[in-house]
Amino acid sequence: MKTTLNSLTLAAGMVLLFSLAGATGVRAAETATNDLPLPFPLIDRFENFQIKDGLPTHKAHCVLRASDGKLWVGTYNGALVREDGKFRRIGVEDGLSHKMVLCMVEDKRTGDMWIGTMRGLNRYSAGHITTYLQTTSGLPNNVIYGLDIMDDTLWVATAAGLGSLNLKTGEWAIYDQSNTVMHEPWVYAVKGAKDRIFVGVWGGGILEYELSNKIFKEHRDPDRDFHYELVHDAGPVSDITSWIAWEDDILWQGTYFGMSRYDGSRWRTWQEKKSPLISNFVNFIWPHGRVAWVGTDRGISVTDGNTWATYRTNEKGEGIVEIARPGRPVETRTMSTKLPNDFVLGIWVDDQEAWFATSDGLSHAIFAAPPKPTKVADAK
Amino acid sequence: MKKRVLVILLVLTGLAGVALWLRQNYWTDHMLRMSHQKNLAKVTCFNCHLVSTDRLRWAQPRPHHDAPAGLAVSPDGKKIYIALDDRDEVAEADTASRQVLRRAKVAGRPFGLALDAAGKNLFVTCRDGDRLAVLDTQTLSETGSVPVGMAPVAVAFCRTAAGDRLVVANSMSDDISVLSVSPLQELGRPSAGRDPFAVAITPDGTRAFIANRLVSLATGHTIPASEITEIDPMTARTARRETLDSAHQSEGICAVPSRPWMLAPLVKVRNLVPITQVANGWVMSSGLAVTDIKTGNVIQMPLDEANNYFADPSGIVVDPAGRRAFVASGGGDVVTVVDLERLAGWLEKADPAAKREAVYDMSLAPEYVTARIPTERNPKQLALSPDGGTLFVAERLADSILVVDAKSVAAQGRIVLGDGGLNDPIRRGEKVFTKAGFTFQNQFSCRSCHPDGHVDGLSYDFDTSGIGDNLLDNRSLMGVAGTEPFKWNGKNPTLEVQCGPRFARVLMRTDPIPQKELLDLTTYIKSLPPHRVATRSADGTLTPSQERGKAIFFATKTPGGQEIPHERRCSTCHRPPLYSVRLSFDVGTGGMFDTPHLLGVAASAPYLHDGRAQSLEELWTIYNPNDQHGVSSYMNKIQLNDLVDYLKTL
Repeated sequence: MKTTLNSLTLAAGMVLLFSLAGATGVRAAETATNDLPLPFPLIDRFENFQIKDGLPTHKAHCVLRASDGKLWVGTYNGALVREDGKFRRIGVEDGLSHKMVLCMVEDKRTGDMWIGTMRGLNRYSAGHITTYLQTTSGLPNNVIYGLDIMDDTLWVATAAGLGSLNLKTGEWAIYDQSNTVMHEPWVYAVKGAKDRIFVGVWGGGILEYELSNKIFKEHRDPDRDFHYELVHDAGPVSDITSWIAWEDDILWQGTYFGMSRYDGSRWRTWQEKKSPLISNFVNFIWPHGRVAWVGTDRGISVTDGNTWATYRTNEKGEGIVEIARPGRPVETRTMSTKLPNDFVLGIWVDDQEAWFATSDGLSHAIFAAPPKPTKVADAK
Repeated sequence: MKKRVLVILLVLTGLAGVALWLRQNYWTDHMLRMSHQKNLAKVTCFNCHLVSTDRLRWAQPRPHHDAPAGLAVSPDGKKIYIALDDRDEVAEADTASRQVLRRAKVAGRPFGLALDAAGKNLFVTCRDGDRLAVLDTQTLSETGSVPVGMAPVAVAFCRTAAGDRLVVANSMSDDISVLSVSPLQELGRPSAGRDPFAVAITPDGTRAFIANRLVSLATGHTIPASEITEIDPMTARTARRETLDSAHQSEGICAVPSRPWMLAPLVKVRNLVPITQVANGWVMSSGLAVTDIKTGNVIQMPLDEANNYFADPSGIVVDPAGRRAFVASGGGDVVTVVDLERLAGWLEKADPAAKREAVYDMSLAPEYVTARIPTERNPKQLALSPDGGTLFVAERLADSILVVDAKSVAAQGRIVLGDGGLNDPIRRGEKVFTKAGFTFQNQFSCRSCHPDGHVDGLSYDFDTSGIGDNLLDNRSLMGVAGTEPFKWNGKNPTLEVQCGPRFARVLMRTDPIPQKELLDLTTYIKSLPPHRVATRSADGTLTPSQERGKAIFFATKTPGGQEIPHERRCSTCHRPPLYSVRLSFDVGTGGMFDTPHLLGVAASAPYLHDGRAQSLEELWTIYNPNDQHGVSSYMNKIQLNDLVDYLKTL
């Protein structure tokens, strides 16, 4: 009995000890987590621009900073250029082929901006707009979802195939189901990658086109199931490609059923609930180095594939950031500012700042100063 | 003997009977069936058969001449370099003795010239070679070459913070090549307007201005506008695009040293107004675009006088002090001298409305035009000695360089390059073609609407009934030999009729061109070969897309196996080798219109009789709803692009 009592006392003591130790361990872990360096900068605050701030509409579709430093925004109602702290609108009355701007890419050699709309492609060159329509040029289709420029070729992702325009000869080429392995006509994104281009096809996965050999290779969801990922890390998470991006030899795929990463030989896939990805509904991915900024319908995630930070609005309407590190609990911080809307359609990021196009305005993210490195003297 | 004659007569009678029978029973039916004409009065076997381009005038060898194109004067003023594009040569002449010292062969039709700052290297644009060549001025031999865009016609040298640069205007590819000098390589190729033709650099070297000859494509009733393109020569980035409303044909551009101005001659065009009035500018007049290089604002000033016009303004130079500008009038055979101080004085006093309306005031030019220097035929390019004391005028169709004392504007003599080609009917015809003296008050020449024999890209209102009611697309004269009849209604059976008395009454409003000159003129027009196109390979091989397009062009069945009716096949009306059977058809555009040939068709936008189609694609995507202009409704976009790719090789 005594032994039993002693055992119970010992057990209770152990439980208490472990409880205390555990509690102390969480606090210790939190402290340690806060100090751990992250593979990406954290956002300190958001500066938002909405209709009251001069935007012509709620919805911003895309954003980029041009090489001359000007910020360009594609909206539901024209393109915007931010100059001297003010937005200048470029609309149909200025020659734009349609008010709904879906994508943009800059030809950095000439400074020309190519603007994709719901009805036609536009070249904005030193204030003048030249329009390309499917009826007036070799453009495959008027609905332009994505654009990219590689050397002398403009690649155009359209609702009826991929188009390429040779910027020196003016020659168009079209790639669709009739002359490639493309299974569906809806090309949502195109991205140049050194000696090849990647083509995101809605319902058709990803096509990889080797420019020198003129060979198309197809990357399809290995389980061919839209909703479920039955086979992990073996190919695109889904064939419903909504966006693709490429940088530093890494291809990123956004779908409405998760996101994927491809380094040329291995795939990784993420879906909500199985990973820190906030939502399967991925609208846009902006890679910066080996880090991807992911725009979803529920906020923004930034990740290197292992560590994640997600910016969203919580149930109380507060802006929060959730930091998830491998093997550690999620750390949640409340922010003083938040995104104007968690439905994020476009992203532009560099080392200094980030811009987000959302369905209720534009947001400028200011990064927090990186944590000061531990002083050598302190370490001693 | 009688028997033999009788047999021969019987045979001949039999043959005539067979011929008659064939005509009654086969040929008539064949011609009706194949020509799709209700009336065979204008149809012969030769519409479809026995047609060859080999015997056409433009396919024959022609004499070459010492026509001066670009000019460049050495920094010490002792030498002048002259591009002789028709000879594939560059000449060097002594400015004091006015003698040609030596000539160098430069392949590819050397046209535009520029010297580097030290005068050691001469940069030459080769218009048919699509390249820029470098000549060592010591040896006058080629030391380098680099490919540029299509048909480079002008080059300017400048110094930038990033090194020496060359800016080249590529007239046929509508772009600008920006090159570094050392190493000689292309840094970028920003797009220009349409037909970029002249380049000038600001005195500080930070901006290059490019004048474009043709208006940008727009719908027929849109007020036409050409462009002055502004780029940064250091980075090759586009800086600004200024429009010249209702103006085109700028072939020269020049900076003004003492003022923030860039000057470009222009043709003020009134194509949307019915050609019924003959005064106050009429169809077109000459002017000068004054561009503020800081703001980009452009003011157009007239160069003509109320009752005397100086057509086809071309080259321009400004003296080093920025006091006077010299503008060549290729059609008027004069160089106009503009006092820039007086011009500036007028501009300072004028209110915005007066500046806006200035170009329409035909009495204004005497305010600042101080002299008209007479020249030999067709003055084009100009050059000034570095001290501004001597003006050199390239008299293109006289094969000479007029040397003028710039201060007194008195002619000092000529550098004679050739004999002017008096014994060559083609050359004589070109002189008629470029001469404004055949029109009322010297307002314009044939060339004014057909630069280099091609198109100005405009549709003109030829109707008296109302503004813009009867726009007719201007058709290229290049490759027209053998494609008679002419006019969109196909009423003129020959070029002699086309350019004859009725034309004089309707358009020129003067006496007809005398018969001898008229024959020379038509000889010249017939000598114009089809326009060169970028996508036609030298050896005639086609790309896969062009091959597929060719199959569509000659298709008798759709890919689905459906027979295409004979009258709706491309090759029925556009039959090789001219790609026209020279008959009129209704293609659903509002009547019967002559079938244009398709040689060089890629370069002759807009299309259809009233210029409603801005691109080849529009012919089928917009203006062929009922498959009357060929069966195209079965085509997907790739097939249409293939067809267009093939057409662009013709």
